[in-house]
Amino acid sequence: MPTSDSDDFESADEGQNSPQKKERKKRLSSSNYSDNLESDQENRKGQSKTYSEPKKVETTDGWDDFDIDEGSEITKVSSEKDTSGPKCEDTTKTLNATTSNTDKGASNDSGWTDFDDWGDTDIPKTGKEDTTKQPAKNIEEVTERLAATSTATSTKNEGWGWGWGMDSILSTATAGITNLTTQVSQGISTVLETSIGAPDPEELARKASQSVENKNKGEDSVPKDTNKDKQEESTNSDAQFPFGSLLSGVTKFVETTGTKVLAGGLDTLETIGKKTMEVLQDGDPGLAKKRAMLGLDSADKPVLSQVLREAKAKADEEDRIKEQKREAKEVHYETLFDDFEGLVHLEALEMLSRQVSMRIEERIRAADPSKRQDIKETLQQVAELCEMPEEDDDEEESGDTSRPDALHERLQTATRDIGLKMQYQPLIKHYKETLEWLSTGDISSRAVYKRGVSSLAHATALAVETYHKTAEMLLVKTRRSTADEADALTQMTVVITKHIGDIATLFTARLNSITDEDKEQVSNHITNIFLEADNSCKYIQNAFQLALPIIQIGAV
Amino acid sequence: MAYAYLFKYIIIGDTGVGKSCLLLQFTDKRFQPVHDLTIGVEFGARMITIDGKQIKLQIWDTAGQEAFRSITRSYYRGAAGALLVYDITRRDTFNHLTTWLEDARQHSNSNMVIMLIGNKSDLESRREVKKEEGEAFAREHGLVFMETSAKTAANVEEAFINTAKEIYEKIQEGVFDINNEANGIKIGPQHSTGGGASGAGGAGAGAAGGGCC
Repeated sequence: MPTSDSDDFESADEGQNSPQKKERKKRLSSSNYSDNLESDQENRKGQSKTYSEPKKVETTDGWDDFDIDEGSEITKVSSEKDTSGPKCEDTTKTLNATTSNTDKGASNDSGWTDFDDWGDTDIPKTGKEDTTKQPAKNIEEVTERLAATSTATSTKNEGWGWGWGMDSILSTATAGITNLTTQVSQGISTVLETSIGAPDPEELARKASQSVENKNKGEDSVPKDTNKDKQEESTNSDAQFPFGSLLSGVTKFVETTGTKVLAGGLDTLETIGKKTMEVLQDGDPGLAKKRAMLGLDSADKPVLSQVLREAKAKADEEDRIKEQKREAKEVHYETLFDDFEGLVHLEALEMLSRQVSMRIEERIRAADPSKRQDIKETLQQVAELCEMPEEDDDEEESGDTSRPDALHERLQTATRDIGLKMQYQPLIKHYKETLEWLSTGDISSRAVYKRGVSSLAHATALAVETYHKTAEMLLVKTRRSTADEADALTQMTVVITKHIGDIATLFTARLNSITDEDKEQVSNHITNIFLEADNSCKYIQNAFQLALPIIQIGAV
Repeated sequence: MAYAYLFKYIIIGDTGVGKSCLLLQFTDKRFQPVHDLTIGVEFGARMITIDGKQIKLQIWDTAGQEAFRSITRSYYRGAAGALLVYDITRRDTFNHLTTWLEDARQHSNSNMVIMLIGNKSDLESRREVKKEEGEAFAREHGLVFMETSAKTAANVEEAFINTAKEIYEKIQEGVFDINNEANGIKIGPQHSTGGGASGAGGAGAGAAGGGCC
């Protein structure tokens, strides 16, 4: 049995009192209920009899029958069995007599076997029917429901449930049904016709048998093709014919063409049933999902709409949050910095730095105690070389070269003696693009602000990448020249820091030139640009500090 | 981009086996026959969806050259998945697998999912390493195996995504502690209540399971 069924069972029990609780439980219990499966089922069996709403209970009942084993079935109805059993036998015989007398059992096999099985599923059995095959059950259920739907005189409570369910099945299973043979589609039209009230042989025959079934409540009866049964039946036929009114009209049909049609019709129904169950169960073992969807479990009905409402509310909330986040993220420095791979380069540089620091410590430990102090002093000296110089003033603006080229030149000059081939192209390219963007026409202060933050984050990410790459290259460099390296990186840091300040100034100048917008808003943007520029410089300083051990290790 | 999880991957293997090309094919869906030698490590990232969740794969593409070995080793730490790549047309790259594997196991966390990749499967005529050999090596060392072609893109998606699926399964099984970033897994910023990326305190994964239909 599919585990999901027990979920429904369990839920159904609880749902009696609290649909909401049930719903919650159902959602959560996706896998942990299998342990309780057996006991749940037992409980359910017991409770189903005590439900106060017969219709719903019966509806649920019917579905349950798909999955439960015969044993529990018997338990469930055992009380009825005692009383209805004998009666059932009688009526069964009656019906059988009618048919077997007239038809000599010629085509009994196919048609009546189905009838025989019907009884098993929701009605107490007499002993002999216990031989019924379990797998055929599902189909029989559907077949029975079909019959019940069209039986106006049905006295069973199940009739309501089945009928309702059948419509759903028919509609949901359309795809499957269209694939059926003409015989089958004929069967469907028959079903539909009869449900409107137009009688036909098949239908009438079914009615007959159905009413037998109904009256008996517990009949299981319709004969198997055993000779013994038939004999018995034939002897009783005349005496026990309690629903002659219905059957007598039918008898002629049944006698002449009925059996044949009936057999064919039942085959058709069986095929529909099988196909329907196949379609329904496809990807949904035990029909758990569809049962939930159709609201066939009594407590589900009020909850379904609630689920939809909740889902809607949740979706709305998510949309709102998404929108907010999207807004915030557009100008969120850290996110942008991450998107430009600044964070990952910083992380890698950090890993490198940590590892190299450990190596330096190892070297100190491994060194002769008398030399340890020397090493520490050397490290200290390198660190001092890497201290940032006081802010100088000379902002020599070389008039003839473009600003990006000037930046490139300053960077090259700064790292001339580092002994590595430095790659500044990405930084220069970004600078060019930024300048181009700023030179375009009418831009709102909001747009300038957004681009400003993004530009700062991008330049910073590229700078951090430069430190990271430089550190990697220094570590594989064959001949180290610590003092030159320290000086070069310090100068480079000065140039990059200035570059960041330059970008910030470009954007704030642009913002200042906007006069037709809310002054306060514009000045807020300017303040934020400067704050983010400061943030950028901290990242760059941090990257430089992380590179320090990599410079230091060259000296020890 | 918002994501539920970030997985850190590392690509390792001899120089010239196509590590960077695999990454480029996966992130940009293109092939570059001539590729600069990777210095240290390069990065790539792509968003994938597993089980309805957005997962950002952050891929660390390491240099295969011997000179960078000591550097790349320091990057192994904190990787949730590794692609160990050899070239099916160069037996020596296959022979070095054991060394790479030892390195990886030694410097990474023990739960790291390792996918063995025989790249350049398009060069069948120059094949030196049989597929069965790759399979046997993978079996012996408990790796997942796949032959790929960064040129034709064959199996490239699968290699990256299947690795992610394994990691994801390990998370579900509780093998990976997602709150420990040393495992190479980060919880996405969308889970933090503040909405900012900086203070991404993990609020835990979203409601698991959920109703059907």
